[in-house]
Amino acid sequence: MRKQLLMAAMLLPLPIAALAAEGERIQVRGEIIDTWCYYSGVMGGPDAVTGTAHHTCALWCSAGGIPVGLLAEDGQVYMVLKIAGDDASAGGDTQLRLASHEITADGLLYHRDGLNYLVVEEVVTDHGITKLNHEDYGAVPPFAIPKPGK
Amino acid sequence: MKHLLMMLAFTGMALPAGAQDFSQGSEAKPWNLYAEQPARFEAKVVDILCELTGDCPTDCGGGVRQLGLLRDVDNVLVYPNKNAQAAFTGAVVELLPFCGRQVEVDGLLIEDPDLKATNIYLVQKIRDVGDAEWTAANRWTKVWAENNPEADGKGPWFRRDPRVKAEIAAHGYTGIGVEEEQQFIKELFE
Repeated sequence: MRKQLLMAAMLLPLPIAALAAEGERIQVRGEIIDTWCYYSGVMGGPDAVTGTAHHTCALWCSAGGIPVGLLAEDGQVYMVLKIAGDDASAGGDTQLRLASHEITADGLLYHRDGLNYLVVEEVVTDHGITKLNHEDYGAVPPFAIPKPGK
Repeated sequence: MKHLLMMLAFTGMALPAGAQDFSQGSEAKPWNLYAEQPARFEAKVVDILCELTGDCPTDCGGGVRQLGLLRDVDNVLVYPNKNAQAAFTGAVVELLPFCGRQVEVDGLLIEDPDLKATNIYLVQKIRDVGDAEWTAANRWTKVWAENNPEADGKGPWFRRDPRVKAEIAAHGYTGIGVEEEQQFIKELFE
C-alpha cells in the first residue's frame, strides 16, 4: 500500500518545465483531417468527414484555425502541432496546403491525457489526396460546393 | 502515510479524471452533438507545444500555435478545438488574450470513446478567475475581417478567404483537380 502510494505521489502535478519530455520517434502514414468535424460528428460519421467528399470543409476548418490531425490507417488520430519546422498549427499555410492529403510523417510523438500529439519533423512522402469518396457521400456538408453559376 | 493520502485526495488523483462531472453551474448552449457534455471549469491557458516539448515563446506563439486549457482540479490538458461560432472556426483567437492566465471557461466537452475523442472542448465563454464579466468566444470572424480587408464582401468568411479560394481554384472543391471534378459537380446538381 505504502509503495503504491509513493509511486502515485511521484505522478503528482509537476511544473511545466519538468513535464516537458522527449518525444518518441515514430513514422506514421495517414490523412490530414480537421479534428473538430471528426471528433464531434457535427457533419456525420467518421467516413464522411475525410477524403474528397470533405475536402472543402477541411480547407475551411484548417484556415479557420481548427486543429488538424493525422488519421492513421489504424484509426489513431495524432494532433499535429508542427510540420517541418512550421509551428503555425492554428491556421498555418503548411497544414492548409496538406488538407485531405495522405502523408507519411516522421516525427516525435507525445501522449497527454488520452490524446496523441505529433511534431512532424519531416513529411517523408506526400501521397496526395488518396481517399476518393465524393461519389459515395457527395459534398460534406452539402453546401460545400456551390451550384455552378451562383 | 496520512499526509500522502491527504495530498493525493487534494490533487484529485484519488478520483479518475474521467469520472469527474464538470457540468455544475454550466450555462453552455447545447449543439446537440452525440458526445457533448456541458463543462465549466477553471484552468490555465497554455501553449500546447510548449507544454509538451518545452519550446516556449513568451507570447504563447502570438496566435499561430494551438492553445490548451490546463484544468486546475486535475491537471488534465483540455484541447479547445472550437470556438462558439458555427463558422468553421477554432478557439485560439478567443484564448490568446488570456495566455498564461488563470481563467474560467464554459462550453461543451466531447468524450467519445469510439472515436478516441477525449478532453476535446468547444469554448463558449471565458473570463479571468474572479472576474464578473464573461467574454463570449465568438470574436474569430471579426478578427478575420480586420486581417483580410481585401476580402470584404457578401457571404460568409469561408467563401471569401483568399487562401481557401486559391486552393479551390488550383485543385477544385474535392482536391482532385478542377477539370477532373467537373462531371461530378454537374451530376451533383442535376
